[in-house]
Amino acid sequence: MAVTVYPRPALAPGESTSARIGCIERLSFSYPGSETEALVDISLELERGEVALVLGRSGSGKSTLLRSLAGLVPHFHGGRFSGSVTVAGLDTRRTAPAALAGTVATLFQDPEDQIVFDRVASEVSFGPENLGLQPGEVARRVASSLAAVGAEHLLGRSTRDLSGGELQRVCLASALALEPQLLLLDEPTSQLDPDGAAAFLELVGALARERGMAVVLSEQRPALPLEICDRVLFLERGRLLLDAPRAQAIEWLEENAPAFVEPPEAAPAQARAPGVTICELEGIGYAYRPGTPVLENVSLELRRGEIAALAGPNGCGKTTLAKLACGLLEAQEGRALCHGRSGYLSQDPGRYVVCERAEDEVALGIAGDLPRARSWLTELGLAGSERRHPRDLSSGERERLGLAAVLATEPDLLVLDEPTRGVDPERKRELGEMLRAGAPARATLLVTHDLAFARSVADRVVSLAGQGVPADA
Amino acid sequence: MRSSAALALLGACVVAALVVAHPLSLALLAVVLLVLLLQTSWRRARLFLFGIAVSSFGLFLIWPLTAHVGSHPLWNGPILPVLGSLDVTREELAAGAMQTLRLATVALAFALWALRLDQDRLVRETRLARRSVLTVALATRLIPTLERDAAGFVEALRGRGVAVEGLRGRSRLLAPLVASSLERALTLAESMEARGYGRPDRARVTRARFSWRERTALAFSLLLVVSSLIWL
Repeated sequence: MAVTVYPRPALAPGESTSARIGCIERLSFSYPGSETEALVDISLELERGEVALVLGRSGSGKSTLLRSLAGLVPHFHGGRFSGSVTVAGLDTRRTAPAALAGTVATLFQDPEDQIVFDRVASEVSFGPENLGLQPGEVARRVASSLAAVGAEHLLGRSTRDLSGGELQRVCLASALALEPQLLLLDEPTSQLDPDGAAAFLELVGALARERGMAVVLSEQRPALPLEICDRVLFLERGRLLLDAPRAQAIEWLEENAPAFVEPPEAAPAQARAPGVTICELEGIGYAYRPGTPVLENVSLELRRGEIAALAGPNGCGKTTLAKLACGLLEAQEGRALCHGRSGYLSQDPGRYVVCERAEDEVALGIAGDLPRARSWLTELGLAGSERRHPRDLSSGERERLGLAAVLATEPDLLVLDEPTRGVDPERKRELGEMLRAGAPARATLLVTHDLAFARSVADRVVSLAGQGVPADA
Repeated sequence: MRSSAALALLGACVVAALVVAHPLSLALLAVVLLVLLLQTSWRRARLFLFGIAVSSFGLFLIWPLTAHVGSHPLWNGPILPVLGSLDVTREELAAGAMQTLRLATVALAFALWALRLDQDRLVRETRLARRSVLTVALATRLIPTLERDAAGFVEALRGRGVAVEGLRGRSRLLAPLVASSLERALTLAESMEARGYGRPDRARVTRARFSWRERTALAFSLLLVVSSLIWL
């Protein structure tokens, strides 16, 4: 595919190049031990105050591009690096990531893995203290960055007790406390519900404009970020295929990568009535801690042949209900019945790495039946990876491995917890088609924040509101 | 009480646990630490208590079999290559019980460090060996993280119909747990570096003067070490 780069507007008379904060020139990079290049001949410039959205399929080099701007590539990861990356006049090859910290801040994908301290206040002050700022200035930055992300109330809380959404805000506050000129966000809304994600992205856009900070953001749910970004970069196999302002980028995406802009088609009306009841949840109540119920008096019925999606805000009990449905948790109140075998796909694909080979991982749940395990791997596009170690697979491949491991058990009730987290739009479409094709054989419960995906796959979307009362939407 | 004073107290307890000769002194120290540990949340303390119980019991079993002291045999076992005679004597049992108590006391002090100390403040305040203090603090946080990871693996296995039972079933989780910890450590290190960790110009939290309570704790720590070396 041809590379499409729209020329940046020429500088107006008297306008200086000081608006430019970052510059990548002919950057190519490959990780140690890898024959293929993760980034190939990338050139681009970043300006203050702009929000650039990086799109691309899984493994296209989005995270690597962000890491190169933070100096982590090549300093932290090693590998073969050619070309140059300059941020605020600093050559990242000659400047260590720690030295770039006052200029660049990075928010990585999984907030839980970035937490150093037990207390929110200590966590947010870690960066400013590393910069050698005076205690008064550190305290000011902690307060202002937490206020900027609407998390002042978390100041005295323990990081252990925070939800995924709250952790994501604290991590963003930690990055903002560095008062960077360039903010790098790697799939920052992957754990947020739609409202939380919209609020988060609006905040990022506003901060970029208020503080004159450039933001580079990679996302797999592009609909919301496409509304707030100024510019779109599209990567494929490490090459920059598109660098364009938002309007032109949307046109280009419609033509060349429609899955990234077009909402998936709504699920077709059910051709036949659902079959027998597979799962019955009646008047369910559940609390992890006495006195703070997660679910109260929730009822749900799932029949063979139907796909139901369970949606709702962070912390409303979706995953808890899903685990109750498939028997991983026992109801404290009410009645939970599952007629048949259930299978549960965890939202963390890192949980499917118990064995040394991918085929053994899948065969684990089917009494070591390797031929069947291999056929499921092929079904999920992992042919050729049978003997690879699950940890050597990419995140998208691990997601599919987990799905193969669960589907191989041929469950009557299939429960999928956030199966589209970190999955690119095209892969999502394939997953949806596969779920629809296999739907008649089982009842499927899909827990997701991705409402577009839910509507494209599910026969009904059940909204689990704050009080734990499901209502068909 | 600030973390450095509490750490001095715990450090003194560890030194005392390693040097005291009288079993009653050691038992008293262990009981005090156990009472303090039980004042934390049971949910967090139980994992440490389980670990302490298992390792102490293991040491008590192994010690008499591998030591070769005493003249009052209670059991005459076979002679094995490398290990020699597996006889158990009354003196070996007594020494094993003492060593077990030492191990349990040191482990209780570590559990208190993990559960009751404000490690954030300790790391931020420390002027000596900050990297080492941070490493120990992060390693301490690893314990609940490992517990959560293990629960996640078990859940994912049960979710595909694989029961995790018995020692063999659980031992299968050991390698993935270690690998997950290493992966997480790499991500954390990357994130810390991106936030300026390792810069030479790092600021330190200003420390207020020690309060009378903290000075008392420091004095008691010193007294505990000296008395355990001389009298206990």
